[in-house]
Amino acid sequence: MSQIPLIFDCDTGVDDAIAIMLLNKLPQFKLLALTTVAGNVELEKTTNNTLRVLELIGADVPVYRGAAKPIFREHVSAVYVHGENGLGGIELPQSNQAIPGVNAWDYIFQEAVKWQGELEIIAVGPLTNLGLAFIKYKQLPDLIKRIVIMGGSASLGNITPAAEFNIYVDPEAADIVFCSGVPAYMCGLDMTMKAYLTAEEMAQVGALGSKPAKFFQDVVQGPLNFYHSLGLPGMSLHDPAAVLYANDPTNFETHPVGIRVETKGQHSLGRTVTDLYSDAQWEKNAYIITDIDRKKFFERVLDLMSQY
Amino acid sequence: MKEIPIILDGDPGHDDAIAWVLANASPLLDIRACTSVCGNQTIEKTSYNAMRVMKLVNLTVPFAIGRRKPLLSDPIIAPNVHGESGLDGPALPEPAITPEPMDAVDLMAKILQESTDPITLVPTGPLTNIGALLLLYPELKPKIARISLMGGGINYGNWTPAAEFNILVDPEAADTVFRSGVPITMAGLDVTEKALIFPEDFERIRALNNPVATVVAEWLDFFYQFHRSKGYEGAPIHDAIAVTALIKPEILTMKDYYVLVETAGDYCRGMTIADRFGVLQQPANATVILGIDRQAFVDLVVEAVAYYGEGAR
Repeated sequence: MSQIPLIFDCDTGVDDAIAIMLLNKLPQFKLLALTTVAGNVELEKTTNNTLRVLELIGADVPVYRGAAKPIFREHVSAVYVHGENGLGGIELPQSNQAIPGVNAWDYIFQEAVKWQGELEIIAVGPLTNLGLAFIKYKQLPDLIKRIVIMGGSASLGNITPAAEFNIYVDPEAADIVFCSGVPAYMCGLDMTMKAYLTAEEMAQVGALGSKPAKFFQDVVQGPLNFYHSLGLPGMSLHDPAAVLYANDPTNFETHPVGIRVETKGQHSLGRTVTDLYSDAQWEKNAYIITDIDRKKFFERVLDLMSQY
Repeated sequence: MKEIPIILDGDPGHDDAIAWVLANASPLLDIRACTSVCGNQTIEKTSYNAMRVMKLVNLTVPFAIGRRKPLLSDPIIAPNVHGESGLDGPALPEPAITPEPMDAVDLMAKILQESTDPITLVPTGPLTNIGALLLLYPELKPKIARISLMGGGINYGNWTPAAEFNILVDPEAADTVFRSGVPITMAGLDVTEKALIFPEDFERIRALNNPVATVVAEWLDFFYQFHRSKGYEGAPIHDAIAVTALIKPEILTMKDYYVLVETAGDYCRGMTIADRFGVLQQPANATVILGIDRQAFVDLVVEAVAYYGEGAR
């Protein structure tokens, strides 16, 4: 079986950490590297968290450091969900893994050239690294097969009433990515809010007993409380849902749409404006994933975590 | 007993016209005045249409014409949906009334001032007149019981991906309305896209065989042409939901939200944004209608049209 060359761009983060653990058990992907970005917490923390999660699961994958701040704006974090350290206060053992001296956006371009158009990217943080890569390398759009994005929403917001966090943090980068010409698959809140696990289901994962499974259950406790405080039935696994979509879209619903990112509104900054059916009839530059079979999603998460 | 005093403010428009037919037939609503606004067509055309609809249903309350354009923007019209006249389709009687010699906003103010009871405003076009009323006569806010409006949508737009037509045409007026503190019921696309009258329902209406029924059935025939071309199963009677909310709320599902109107942005001007998760920690300013019992709605419209066969009013 030929593997799909993949770069995972992340801002680890509780659900990023889980996504990494799942990704490590998906043999369809040849995971070239993880690239980090400022997002849920600052860059040093997201990078450090990424290294620690890899150490925990014993995965030998390089990590490249990316952008410390959005392209045009100051960084906004999400400590109210992910905790000060980004991992809900859970202290994983340090990693000794060295970080190469190449920037994430340069590394992405190098690999894109090397794989001659076969490279896929899953991006689950603010899209700063990809935005910078497209600004710097004009030939890059022809060299990336597709980008699966956790971010945005056609109908909801979370950091503001109109905008999802990852897109809100760097809306200009997001617009660059959606307008790049590379097929973009938006796993936004429309779908990921339905990709939740209840406290009982989290406990089922924890009961698998391995170190990664126990970490899974521990790390979600903070965010789980946050989601419960909103009156929601469980914690949404946004980033894992994007990873499993990229791996197999069977249990999801996908539609071709036109998407542009609002970079100027007073209340709508960072909105991924999605033309599902309006009279404007925007050119279809993206795909939106609107639905997920939650039960099958949980089964898949449980199955992958049981492989530790 | 007609216990709810209202003012109808619209840009007829097929669905405005049906909303007015519905309101005029209701034993609950006491229509104190009608006003026109530019929207689906120019102010000349919507005013002429408004007066023709009033004649059709024998509505003789005071009527006044609104301003030529939105508060700040240039007008946007929708001839692709409503035709060149703004109310294409069947022949209509010529107007039998003379507009009041004052602006729509001043007529609204006069009616409010003279009323002992607070009055509900029912705008089914752009919110230009209501916004102007709130800006020019802020002291009359306590006289406004509620604003039951058709406009917006908390999930998506129609004229643009983000914005519904009525709000897009005059976002500043809409922003004024939503920030006014007056209770708002919002019939947006979330519900109105589900308020479909199917072609087989047109025939129920036509079979009532009174003068209003014939016209309403032919309006539906015309209005559905545009929507059928876009894949709709029926004609969405958006504006009628702003009236339905007053006379038959039990067939609707609603939820209170803090709703913002976007007036800026490259793509989001005219968007209505609901704070679903309460991140702004603001009290709700609007009751947003989200769902409808479609069959009960169709029955309501059919009953209303049947009323005109009894020669009442």
